[in-house]
Amino acid sequence: MIKILTVYGDMLLVALGRTILLALLGLFFACIIGLFFGILGVLKNRVCNIISQIFVDLIRGVPMIVLAFFVYFGIPYYFNTIIGGFNVTLSALQAGTICLALNCGAYMAEIIRAGILSVDIGQMEAARSLGLSYGMAMRKVVLPQAIRTMIPTFINQFVITLKDTSILSVIGFPELVNTAKNVQANTFMAFQTWAIVGVMYLIVITILSRSAKVLERRLNVGR
Amino acid sequence: MLDANRENVKIHVDHLKKSFGKLEVLKDISTDIYKGEVVVVIGPSGSGKSTFLRCLNRLEEVTDGTIIVEGVDITNKKVNINKVRENIGMVFQHFNLFNNLNIIDNLMLAPNMLKKCSKKEAKERALEMLKKVGLVEKAESYPSQLSGGQKQRIAIARALCMQPNIMLFDEPTSALDPEMVGEVLQVMKELAADGMTMVIVTHEMGFAREVADRVIFMDGGYIVEEGTPQEVLANPKEQRTIDFLNKVL
Repeated sequence: MIKILTVYGDMLLVALGRTILLALLGLFFACIIGLFFGILGVLKNRVCNIISQIFVDLIRGVPMIVLAFFVYFGIPYYFNTIIGGFNVTLSALQAGTICLALNCGAYMAEIIRAGILSVDIGQMEAARSLGLSYGMAMRKVVLPQAIRTMIPTFINQFVITLKDTSILSVIGFPELVNTAKNVQANTFMAFQTWAIVGVMYLIVITILSRSAKVLERRLNVGR
Repeated sequence: MLDANRENVKIHVDHLKKSFGKLEVLKDISTDIYKGEVVVVIGPSGSGKSTFLRCLNRLEEVTDGTIIVEGVDITNKKVNINKVRENIGMVFQHFNLFNNLNIIDNLMLAPNMLKKCSKKEAKERALEMLKKVGLVEKAESYPSQLSGGQKQRIAIARALCMQPNIMLFDEPTSALDPEMVGEVLQVMKELAADGMTMVIVTHEMGFAREVADRVIFMDGGYIVEEGTPQEVLANPKEQRTIDFLNKVL
């Protein structure tokens, strides 16, 4: 255990940093995608609702490991070989970010859609009756209330996404799991290696959950 | 009721029809609402009175007919309804105060967002309106900390902050405990005395008798009878009005 920490500790920490970087990038774009498709899902427009639903069903219906292989190997192959004439290459980080953003984005879209629908319709009507546009009412009245109810589910989704980065070890991104595999291969100390990696995830996720709880309490003013 | 004096007509409703899918809620409604008039709409539940009220600021899209508010045809899809709504205050049965904002921000949100006046003026007016409804001390409270009656008075103050020319009330006292009805009706009476044009859907017959200039009795998607409170409430002509009044009085 001590040997792994002294020899490979820095390497694992750097890998953990990459895991967090990948998760943050994925979450950032997932929020944008989720907000976009979530709002598309609540608009009073059948076409928008259907587009949102198709996106969610499509992504949710495919395991992320398949999505990862498809984005990392499939997309460049499609452009470079099937169509031809392109030279598309995706780094593992780029492909990983796309996968996480799409995967987490689909779940976020559903969380956001449900959150908005959970706000009493009267809130929107009151805002509109005062002359506010749909967008203003959404931004100033409905979304702030929706976000409050969404926070616990958001946190859950953030944690899942952070853990899902480990799936992206299959496309060779040197995040924590991938690095740990190398450590295990070099040291043959499987028990110690994976115990250390498990604790590392545990610490990061606990910090994330705890700080999210503090945020949740702060946002609950006036409830 | 189509009067020659057009200038004083605040809301002109002409052959209004409204259906929800196959359900025809408003079948043929025509009436005029005059400047400074207090019109009380009564009728059994399901008669379409709330729907009628909600059509007046296009919270419900009308199916057919015309509604002209202060000279603007709001059934025309090209009309910027937000501009029209700035001049029509609305008070809801369930108050609908913005739960994420404290009272003063509830009052100032729309004036600030729509740049009706400077922030300083908005604040001054908000405080003035709070004084009017007797709740200045609640400026920093959140809606969840108020009683039903207080919430409804705040809702009225919030609508008044936009300085509307017309006020719509959709069963403003129906969700209140009995002892809180009085304080809300009192604010509405003062508003009527100030000359506000008001359309009120309510079950408060006492209030209708005391404050209304005109009472409209609706049933089955039609206006069955209308006239002064004396005419409609004391001497109803239509059998359906008589039956309804016998049940509620």
